[in-house]
Amino acid sequence: MDSLSGTFWDVVIAGTGLQQSLLALSLSRSGKKVLHADKNRYYGGFEAAFTLQEAEEWLNKGDEDSPLRPFRKASSVPQASLDGSNKAPKLSARAYSLALSPQLLYARSSLLQALISSKVYRQLEFLAVGSWWIYVPRDRSETGEALTSSHGELKKVPNGREDIFSDDLIDLRSKRSLMKFLKFVADYENMSEVWSDYASIPFSEFLRSRFGISMSLQAPLLALTLSPVSPSETPTSFALPRIARHLRSMGVFGPGFGAVLPKWGGGAEIAQVACRACAVGGGVYVLDEGISDVSNAPADQGEMPGQVGSSAHHPVAVTLSSGETVNTLWLVGSPDDIPKKSGTTRSGNEPESPTREEVTSKSISIVSSPLTGLFPQTAEAGPVPAGAVVVFPPETLLTEEKVAENQPPVYIMVHSSDSGECPSGQCILYSSVFISGDEGQATLDLAVNRLLSSLGEDPKSCLLWSMRYSQQGPSLHSGVVSSCEERSPGQIFFPRSSNGLAFDDELLNNVKCAYEKIVGSDNEDSSFMAFSDREVPTSYMSDEE
Amino acid sequence: MPSDESLPTLKILLIGPSGAGKSALLLRYCDDLFDSESSTATIGVDFRLKKLSVRGTPYRLNLLDTAGQERFRTLSHSYYRGAHGILLMFDMTNRESFLSMGRWYDEAETNALPGVVTYLVGGKLDCHDFRVVSTEEGEALAQQHGSRYCEVSSKTRENIRRPFVELVHEIVNNPSLMQMVKRPGEGGRSLDVKREDPYIFNGCNC
Repeated sequence: MDSLSGTFWDVVIAGTGLQQSLLALSLSRSGKKVLHADKNRYYGGFEAAFTLQEAEEWLNKGDEDSPLRPFRKASSVPQASLDGSNKAPKLSARAYSLALSPQLLYARSSLLQALISSKVYRQLEFLAVGSWWIYVPRDRSETGEALTSSHGELKKVPNGREDIFSDDLIDLRSKRSLMKFLKFVADYENMSEVWSDYASIPFSEFLRSRFGISMSLQAPLLALTLSPVSPSETPTSFALPRIARHLRSMGVFGPGFGAVLPKWGGGAEIAQVACRACAVGGGVYVLDEGISDVSNAPADQGEMPGQVGSSAHHPVAVTLSSGETVNTLWLVGSPDDIPKKSGTTRSGNEPESPTREEVTSKSISIVSSPLTGLFPQTAEAGPVPAGAVVVFPPETLLTEEKVAENQPPVYIMVHSSDSGECPSGQCILYSSVFISGDEGQATLDLAVNRLLSSLGEDPKSCLLWSMRYSQQGPSLHSGVVSSCEERSPGQIFFPRSSNGLAFDDELLNNVKCAYEKIVGSDNEDSSFMAFSDREVPTSYMSDEE
Repeated sequence: MPSDESLPTLKILLIGPSGAGKSALLLRYCDDLFDSESSTATIGVDFRLKKLSVRGTPYRLNLLDTAGQERFRTLSHSYYRGAHGILLMFDMTNRESFLSMGRWYDEAETNALPGVVTYLVGGKLDCHDFRVVSTEEGEALAQQHGSRYCEVSSKTRENIRRPFVELVHEIVNNPSLMQMVKRPGEGGRSLDVKREDPYIFNGCNC
């Protein structure tokens, strides 16, 4: 095995999650010597994407101390075999790329801008996320343009003002109210007089009293917020920027949609492409290599020849899990990748993070049919979407005996085989709910079941395989502003990635924060992620056979 | 004559252990350069382009090197995406290098598309005196994995074009592989995120 300790590193990055990988990308042209290590044998950390086989391995390994853990060991459920109707098809394990943290990317996201300005977008493919659907229980729905079923049906969130105007179910007065709200939200930053008094008040209360939008018309607007918590806990200050983000992203990359998903597993693919960019720039990559200890480097390592005084601090000695110790000026990672400096003890498994953390239950299901009805073209001449969002408003999943006050909604992101995440003829359901434990998983199972019955396909689509897990991450709805944090000289910590369903631009700010600490603040602001194309050596001397 | 930009593009990867001579092969094939001093991995080259005509039909080869990620075997799934052909290269003067090829074949077969064309290359043909892997051994390994085999020297140019020409030949004769060959602009359902459409949100377009 080659030696890593012979080099004095400028930066050691621990973990290949999205934040760390984007930092690697940002440093890929800096001339810094970067060692990028991950304790896992795969790229992507919490944002990893797995083949079926890798997913099974991950489930069986079942790290109970990780914030991202399987829900009970061996919790994959091959279900086609239980369904007597047809023989269980043999799943081709390699044909899947299942994303642990699928996130949609709004067209106006600063991450997309960074992927474009850093030129790595050329190695990525993006597909449209088309329709938002809302599940409506049977007894409450009326006939109209909807997909029917025995339990309930899915109603499409209006995709434009034309949709609202032409909707026969909305009376003229309500249409006017909705239009008034949409006009307001397009410019809400400059109209604080309208909403500042309501900032911390539930969004639905704001819609009702300020715009006269009735409860029944609020569901589509709430769906666009992707709020993990119940409407009564979703404040106006959370909802407005998210609805505005949705609307402002519409049409940016084509008619009829505003969000995209990166092909082959989303964040996992971005992380891998970013890591390769850093490798092309000379970065060294090691997987299956964690960090077991961190201490101050010996004094004689303090003054390295050639190290310019951009950092005044003492170098850090990092011991890798293989036993090798390397010296570096900077060590960057999440609290899950970096142990505290030796001499200090860590209390339990609690990262000493000031941000509130919470647990989301998640599941990934492979469906036996493509559910084509969920992916209609959303505009003439628009692309065929590969993603859809299905929202189960809180009250739709309550069983009769249970009346919960603050029941959160369930979100199911549906990815078609165009996403590269499953073979054609199938699709993937990524479900999540902000309820932990058994109750959370039971709620997800119920939602998945209702989704499949609502589509009324014959024969009914079934689940070929599914996995359950939970993820602990920073609180999303309490509006915590996190950033990169230098806990001791030379050590930079990223917060854990959030459980949000849409990529949070805050994460890129964390990366920029770390980047600026490393390259020094005198560096021009504009150089962050702004690269020219690498010169591609072309030989167009035609090689004729 | 179509412009180079519009030619069908074939994605070809080089993999194999460090020091096999992958970068030297690319540099010699693409630029007819050989630097006997350079022994370290190339920094700053993401990929190379080369035009190659097979039976009068020109193709654009997009040749990807490992960027050093072979050193600790950390090539990612994404490196293999959409590859039509894979050149697996070892150093004929290094037994260990040859013995590692089984694992490189495993990795290629795990990550690449079913049906991808593989091709085994033995490098450093000019170093006769230090050769420790025989032609028969190379051929046997290649045959075992359904690949062709050839031995090259980037230093003397011997056989330097052969692996590329034969690999491309096999790719273009494979209809199912050719189905996924894209011309620029044919992204399937993929979006062009660089070009902002003129459908920018104006006012309220919910």
